[in-house]
Amino acid sequence: MDKLLRSLQTLGALVVFIGQVARSAVTPPIYWGETLRLMNVLAKRCIVPVSLAVAPVGAVISLQGIEIFKLFGAERMLSSFLGTAIFREYSPALASVMVAAQAGSSIAARIGTMKVRGQIDALAVMSVDPVRYVVVPGVIACVIVAPLLSVLTNILGIFSGWVFAVPLGGIDHGAFMEHLTAQITPADLWIGLGKCSVFGLGIGLIAGYLGLNVGKGAADVGKAANDTVVSTIVLILLVDYAVSMALLGAGL
Amino acid sequence: MGEKVIPADVPAVVLDGVSKSFGTNTVLDGVSLTIDRGSIAVMLGPSGTGKSVLLRCLVGLLKPDKGRVLVFGEDVAALDEKKARDRKKLFALRRRFGMLFQDGALFDDMTVFDNVAFPMRLHTDMSEAAIREKVSDRLARVGVAHAEQKFPAELSGGMRKRVAFARAIAIDPDIVLCDEPSSGLDPVMSATLDELILELHRTLGMTFIIISHDTAEARKVADTIGMLANGKLVTFGPAQQVFAENHPALEQFFTRATVGPIKVV
Repeated sequence: MDKLLRSLQTLGALVVFIGQVARSAVTPPIYWGETLRLMNVLAKRCIVPVSLAVAPVGAVISLQGIEIFKLFGAERMLSSFLGTAIFREYSPALASVMVAAQAGSSIAARIGTMKVRGQIDALAVMSVDPVRYVVVPGVIACVIVAPLLSVLTNILGIFSGWVFAVPLGGIDHGAFMEHLTAQITPADLWIGLGKCSVFGLGIGLIAGYLGLNVGKGAADVGKAANDTVVSTIVLILLVDYAVSMALLGAGL
Repeated sequence: MGEKVIPADVPAVVLDGVSKSFGTNTVLDGVSLTIDRGSIAVMLGPSGTGKSVLLRCLVGLLKPDKGRVLVFGEDVAALDEKKARDRKKLFALRRRFGMLFQDGALFDDMTVFDNVAFPMRLHTDMSEAAIREKVSDRLARVGVAHAEQKFPAELSGGMRKRVAFARAIAIDPDIVLCDEPSSGLDPVMSATLDELILELHRTLGMTFIIISHDTAEARKVADTIGMLANGKLVTFGPAQQVFAENHPALEQFFTRATVGPIKVV
């Protein structure tokens, strides 16, 4: 019973917090300098792990797919499956998961450390709203950086798939490109990027909330970072599944 | 800084029956006092007697359970940070404060220069050249001019504290709150900081409220002295008078006696 009450309290606090962030994000002052700085830091921190996570997936889809498509004599069509899978599912989900792991944890740890060391109080005493100064820039940065990274992972995923399909798998380059471009629509791209922004929003909000509500010591900062990663990844995968179901149901 | 003008007879700070508990632990129990503008008030007391809580109540970081906290006549305790209008008032009041936190609370990802420039960039329309000049002046006053481009992690504890002091006085606040300014400083640096406080007080007329358990510091800078023990304000008044009265708790503090009204828990 106590646990249920606590969970409800946390949920309520999270809703209030989201309202606060939303209000702060649409009313001045917005600290753009801090936002750009964070975007730069997060993009640099995420670019390599995100690339390393997605490139092998494209390769594996081609490697496995080619065998299965061969059964039906349709290996020329592999690229349409590869394209849809990468653009709509793997690229947004994996890019977001890696952003959660790298950016989410670092945002939560940074805010948590600031809180534990009294820097959040120092901001407040200097008449700076901590939500505006440390949370909102992180949220905006995640919302923008996650889809940007997913553009890169789209390219990398398709490229690594191409490597295993065309030079190594023996599929004709012309056929690969033809089926790829015929199958992928702008909607696939936008849906993928949109998902990334939504996931980025979730990452920024959860990281900000857990960072600001950290306990008292260094171990609590680690816990906040850890909790951010676990909860955002679970959330991303669940929401991804739900959104894919809904979009397929709606014929998109 | 464009805030409304406050009549000269309004004291800097008035506490009226301020109480604050954390669970069953009462850290402030009906504290009332008045600190005049332009004075240097030193609040003495053993660790854990609510001295820091008192400072936090002054800037609205904590809300007392009971009582009023008047800063330039405005009741900080009555302001609710969640309400937009109150938050605006609270932020306007906080701009009158500079605060030196016990551990400095410098921003880790900014250089020393940017830390001190931070309140100027946010709350004034000073040009970057003017900011540069003022930051250099502040850092020179606290003796860390050579460390402008260093990050807080590269500084010693004492240097961090001095930089934090430079940040606290960056935009000429009306009231400077210092939480244990001398802790972690060597005696010479500590004395230098005391002299700096006296000089700023003399030249800029700033009001200082200093939390301390350094009795030498209290003797050197205070014109008003208060002593908190077990959550109560056991003595408070002009330094001369308080020293003359020599309350048993104050005497215990100054003579470093283990037996007396101050209980070691």
